[in-house]
Amino acid sequence: MAKRGSRDKELLDLFERAGKNAAAAAVVLDTLLGSIPDVAKLSERVLEAEQEGDRITHAILRKLDTASKPYQDVGDLHTLASAVDDIVDHSEEAADMIGRYGIEAPMVQASELGGILAEAAAEVAGALKDLRKGNDLTSRIVELHRLENEGDRVSREGLGALFAGGIDPMVVIRWKDVYESLEKAVDACEGVAHALETLTLRRGSA
Amino acid sequence: MSITETHRVEHLDAGPSFASTPALRIAVVDRDTGFGTVLRRRAESLGWQQRDLTQVPAIDALVSMRLHALVIDPTLLGPQWAETIEYLRGNLPEMAIVVTTAPSSVGQRVRGIRAGADDWITKPCHPEELIARIESIMRRRKPAQGLTREPILAGDLSIRADQFQAFCEGRSLDLTRREFELLHLLADNPGNVLEREEIYQRVWGFQMAHGDRSVDVFIRKLRQKIALFSPDWDYIHTHFGVGYRFSPELPVAEKPASIKTAPAKRKTAKAGKAAA
Repeated sequence: MAKRGSRDKELLDLFERAGKNAAAAAVVLDTLLGSIPDVAKLSERVLEAEQEGDRITHAILRKLDTASKPYQDVGDLHTLASAVDDIVDHSEEAADMIGRYGIEAPMVQASELGGILAEAAAEVAGALKDLRKGNDLTSRIVELHRLENEGDRVSREGLGALFAGGIDPMVVIRWKDVYESLEKAVDACEGVAHALETLTLRRGSA
Repeated sequence: MSITETHRVEHLDAGPSFASTPALRIAVVDRDTGFGTVLRRRAESLGWQQRDLTQVPAIDALVSMRLHALVIDPTLLGPQWAETIEYLRGNLPEMAIVVTTAPSSVGQRVRGIRAGADDWITKPCHPEELIARIESIMRRRKPAQGLTREPILAGDLSIRADQFQAFCEGRSLDLTRREFELLHLLADNPGNVLEREEIYQRVWGFQMAHGDRSVDVFIRKLRQKIALFSPDWDYIHTHFGVGYRFSPELPVAEKPASIKTAPAKRKTAKAGKAAA
C-alpha cells in the first residue's frame, strides 16, 4: 500500500464503502434501540446493511486474494476488512435478538451503548475515508479507543443492573445476550483501530 | 436423583417460607422418583399436598385435582412438549407451571416460558429453591387474583376487573392483560402518584431493572388505546422523574363549569358516568 495505483484506489474505495455501510447500520440500530417494541422495519434495514456489508467484504477479499501482484500488507488488509464486517454482523445480531426475543421496551443503558456504537462506527467510516485520502489517522484511532472504554463501562453498568436481584429471569436472559452483541460490535470498532494502527505503522516503515 | 440433597434444608439460611401461602396442592410429573421424594419431604413440612405423576393426566383429571402448581419435566412430554405446556396454560390459566429439567438451551427456555411456563429451573436443583419459586409465582399472582371485582367508573371509562377489560360506552378498549392490570392499578389509586418501580413490581411481579422503560412503553400504549375511544379526557398524567398519576380530567377549555375533575369512583357511587 506504499504506492498508490488504480488497484489501490479501487480497494480503498471499497473500504470506504464498507465503513459508510457500518456507520449506517449502527445509526439504524441506535434508532431501533430507542424504538422498542416497534422494531420490525428497522431490524430489516439492519439486515440489509449486513448483507451489503457481506458483499463489500467479499469484493475486498476477492481483490486481495486474486491480485496478480500480491499486496504487501495483505494480512493486515484482511484483518481490517474482517473487523469492519464484524461491526455490522454484531449489530445485526443485536437487532435480530431484540425482535426474536420479543423485548417489550427499551433499556436506558442499551440505548446509551447504541449511541456509543453509532459514534464509533462513524469514526470508523471517517478513518477509512482518511485512509483513502492519505490523512493522518491518529486522532480517529485515539477516539475509537476512548469510545470502546466508554462502551465497556456502559455495558458493565447495564449488566450490573440486570443482576441486582429480584429481576425477572427472562429480562436477564434477553438483555444479557443483547448487551453482549452490542459490546462485540463496539469492540469490533476498536478492532478496526488496531488494524489501522498496524497498517499505518507498516506503511510508515515501508 | 436430580434434586440435590447435599445440604440439609435446615442448614439453609432460606428465611421463613411465604407465610401467607395457604396449603398448596402441587403435582410433580417426573420419572425421577427421588426428585419427588425429596421435594415431598419439604412440601409436606409446609403443609402442602403433593401428587407424584409419571405422565400428564387428562385435563379433566387435572381440573379435579384443583392444583395450584404443576412441576413438570418436559422430557416426558416428547417433541410436542411446548405445545403441551401451551395447552395446559390455555386450559388451566390459574395453575402455575414450573419446568424442571436438565441443562437446556436459551432457545428451549424461551420457548417453554413463551408457551406458558411460569418458571424454568435447571436440575439438579435444591428443593428449597423450587419451593421458593412456587411461592414467588403465587405471590405474583396475588395482585391479579386480588383485583377488586367492582367496576371503576372514571371519565368515559368503565374498568371491569371481572372481565379484565375496560369499556367506553359499552365498547371494549381491547386491552391486553398487562395493559389492563396497569390501568386498574392506576385507577384504583386515583390522584396518587405511583412510582415507576412500584408500578413495575405490582404489575410485572418483579423488581424493575434500573433503566428498564417497560412502564413508560405500556403507559404510552394504554394512552393510545384510551384516546381512540375517549379522546376528550386526560386520564394518566406524567410526573417526570417519578411516575404516573391517574386522574380523569377534561382540558381546561372544555371543562363544564361544574366539573373540575372526575375522580375514579366505584360503580356504587353515582358521579363517574354523569361526568361524561
